Amino acid sequence: MIETLQNLALGFSVALAPNVLFYAVLGCVVGTLVGVLPGLGPLAGISLLLPLTFGLNPTTAIVLLAGIYYGAMYGGSTTSILMRIPGEAASVMTCVDGYAMTQKGRAGPALAIAALGSFVAGTLSVVALMLLAPPLATFALRFGPPEYTALLLLGLIVLAYMSSGSMPKTLAMATLGLVLGTIGIDAMSGFLRFTHGVTELGDGIGIVPVAVGLFGLSEILLTAGKDTPPQVYKPKLHELVPTGEDVRRSAAPTLRGSLLGFLIGIIPGSAHIISSFVSYGVEKRLAKRPEEFGHGAIEGVAGPESANNAAASGAFVPMLALGVPSGPIPAVMMAALMIHGVSPGPLLMEQQPALVWGFIASMYVGNLVLLILNLPMVGLFVNLLRVPYAYLYPCIVVFCVIGVYAVNSSVVDVWIMIVTGAVGYFLRKLDFDMAPVVLGLILSPMLELSLRQSLAMSAGRYDIFLQRPIAAIMLAIVVVLLALSVWPALKGGGDWRTRVGLDEKPG
Amino acid sequence: MPPAAGVWWTGDRVAGLILVAIAAIVVVETMALPLGTLSRPGPGYAPLICAVVLAALGILVTLRRGGAPVANLRWGEARHALLIFGAGAFAALALERIGFRLTTLAILVFLIGVVERKPPLPVAAVAVAISFGGYYLFWNVLRVPLPTGPFGI
Amino acid sequence: MLRTLSALALLGLVAAPAAAQTYPDRPITFVAPFPPGGVADQVGRPLGSAMEKLLKQPIVLRNQPGAGGAVGMAAVAQSRPDGYTLLVALSSISIIPEADKLFARQPAYTMDQLAPIALISADPTVMVVKADSPWKTVKDFVEDAKKRPGQIAYASSGVYGTLHVAMEMFAVAADIKLRHVPFSGGGPAVTALLGNNVQALASGPGPVLAQIKAGTLRPLAGWGDKRIPALPDVPTFKELGYKDVEFYIWAGLFAPKATPAPAINALREAAKKAVDDPEFKTTMGNLGSPISYLDAPEFQKFWDTDAARLAVAVKKIGKVE
Repeated sequence: MIETLQNLALGFSVALAPNVLFYAVLGCVVGTLVGVLPGLGPLAGISLLLPLTFGLNPTTAIVLLAGIYYGAMYGGSTTSILMRIPGEAASVMTCVDGYAMTQKGRAGPALAIAALGSFVAGTLSVVALMLLAPPLATFALRFGPPEYTALLLLGLIVLAYMSSGSMPKTLAMATLGLVLGTIGIDAMSGFLRFTHGVTELGDGIGIVPVAVGLFGLSEILLTAGKDTPPQVYKPKLHELVPTGEDVRRSAAPTLRGSLLGFLIGIIPGSAHIISSFVSYGVEKRLAKRPEEFGHGAIEGVAGPESANNAAASGAFVPMLALGVPSGPIPAVMMAALMIHGVSPGPLLMEQQPALVWGFIASMYVGNLVLLILNLPMVGLFVNLLRVPYAYLYPCIVVFCVIGVYAVNSSVVDVWIMIVTGAVGYFLRKLDFDMAPVVLGLILSPMLELSLRQSLAMSAGRYDIFLQRPIAAIMLAIVVVLLALSVWPALKGGGDWRTRVGLDEKPG
Repeated sequence: MPPAAGVWWTGDRVAGLILVAIAAIVVVETMALPLGTLSRPGPGYAPLICAVVLAALGILVTLRRGGAPVANLRWGEARHALLIFGAGAFAALALERIGFRLTTLAILVFLIGVVERKPPLPVAAVAVAISFGGYYLFWNVLRVPLPTGPFGI
Repeated sequence: MLRTLSALALLGLVAAPAAAQTYPDRPITFVAPFPPGGVADQVGRPLGSAMEKLLKQPIVLRNQPGAGGAVGMAAVAQSRPDGYTLLVALSSISIIPEADKLFARQPAYTMDQLAPIALISADPTVMVVKADSPWKTVKDFVEDAKKRPGQIAYASSGVYGTLHVAMEMFAVAADIKLRHVPFSGGGPAVTALLGNNVQALASGPGPVLAQIKAGTLRPLAGWGDKRIPALPDVPTFKELGYKDVEFYIWAGLFAPKATPAPAINALREAAKKAVDDPEFKTTMGNLGSPISYLDAPEFQKFWDTDAARLAVAVKKIGKVE
């Protein structure tokens, strides 16, 4: 404990040195700028801006990158709440209730709660990272393909709480997402599936273009031509601040989201994307008034936003403790470190204490800087809504195009966004929800790959899932959850249709 | 709300049938891929299962009595939506041919000036500011290359 | 209108040859056909900043990932051959067309659409196992693998990826059968080995050096012609008697085939000087990836030999089902 405090003191002495602090702030500002652009999330942000760090020393470089990363995350929630444009896959759930709040004139509280929730989650998970990194990292490495399969199956269960519509429609949309996710090269055999000679489809359909299309573009297509144009929104000062009730209602979801996000975040791979979906499902399940979800429930903003941010910090646990490139973002960070002559490995914490603890301390600093930067900006951002829609939406279209293009320099991605925008337009007119499609698209390739990897590991024997304790426990949870949701339906006898949503719910 | 008696074409039915059609296409295309076995699933395995489930759910959605009658849908915004969709398609076609700045300039002038009929001066101001400012932000500040067109614009 | 257009066209005709002589007169783009942070990135960016000092024009690197690199490679192969769009490619450039042949697919590009400019680095892959595994030498490993064919699992960066082909090349030479578990990239493959989900891995030296030094991974042998400078005690497969087992993760600079000679020569000259740039040398040293420079003609020879070797290996792997 004392050692940790000493290390932390060392970290803060590094992070608060004027030049490092400068780069932390710069990173937060640049990251926010990039994150506000539609389609450009944290991963795209730090990837695109990686070259900016080449002239710096390793500590300032990683502090700058961390700042960009956090900043992009905050920026992403801003566009999700104000314009229903997800900066990345993980903010899809924020779009749903955040934007619903904006439409009710409550953009201010939504933004403020998102910022506060992110701050709390960020700070809590940095504390957890600091105290628990080595043991947690060793545990996280035991997550191989079988454990991953079980985790993703748990993710599928969340679908039940994903939308307010009827169950068959929700499941149909999710399956549509699963089907879309099978497009591209089959990672196990090298066969190309459904690409029809388009090389760019080889890696499958990108999640970000689909999310921007289904959520952002479809919204513009639905709104721009309305007979009565959307009202120019003039917030009063007191409406910008969350009410006492907002804060009370957000407290528990924020804490649950932080814990959930951190635990999912430390697992190597890309599972951290689903943390915000899982948090949304959990909050809806626990909520006193689940019917408010989808229509501007503040819990639906606080939970996923916190989970998202906590997962971001959690992802650094295996990287810092063991030098493992445990996900796309730590991989980019490690590449940056290697260019500067620091090769991250299990000895990183011992050999480079100033760098590691400086980085951890700068995560505290970055979270605080962002809070200070963003709370006053809430007013400014909300004022964006004063811009008449006739000017606003063409600019959003342009930024969507360029944001989606810039990530992979791919025109095919732009096409995907435009086509899914049109598809989303029609489906939403027919009263379908879009979030399950995105979740299906995220889960499909990961689930298929990890299942088949598991079978490759066991030479085709399914008992591999039962022989590995973590996987077996998670599968047991899946079975229990399924039973719990089917049981009342069976017991309820006559009205089971209502229970499973075969009939329209009253109201 | 259950649809009025006698209305067959509801939103859900249209969507359900489209989903069944998509599933059918996927099944046909999957035939070209090796299926594998339960213990060694091949490249065609997962898509086939997904497609079968999609077809089943599509049929379920079709058979339920749900959704508003299609005839009641209002298409007031469709003209705008079509124009915006066209502008997006133009962007995808033009981006790597005439460059970022000319493409965005054209889209903004078209959408704000022609579709929304705003006065020329603000249109020009917004269009120039976004297209050239956006390029400046990406290239000069963030060092991210965006496509350029003829004559380096 | 017509007159303006024809005047512009005329201007273009006059301008084209003039531009070739003053190459380069505008920014140059390097395309890295992989996501940011990969080897192509790590080599391409410092190379770009060393070359821009010599060519007096900014060089920017654009990541254009997709389909295991095929998207970016095809984009450069089909780009205007003016010397302003270049490719930073890795050994996979020779594997992808072979895999396409295997599946009787229309290839996204062919190798003869690209002209080599310079080879920058060539790191032999190294075979690593967990430090607590029973195998101390390649001999132990092969003996065990012969006792239980198809039981020992190894990770790769993806099916027909560099790490897959390297391992299969060895397995064929040693006459053993291994179990292949593909992952989506080199990073996840290393993670899988560290987490005990597979038992072996062929990897570029860079990503595993720190783990080897920390004693969590044990190197058994290298795929190079010579030993890896950072791992002087690790034998090569050739030393151990596996004659044709040779594999490098190399990085080189390419231009579209029809690029005019003046531009190619200017680029060759700049690359030759860039590899002596002290800053560039330090960066490459940091990455654990020493410079092995070859000029265009020698690079072409190296590439031909390498591609032939890989073609044989891919054919031996055949279709995976």
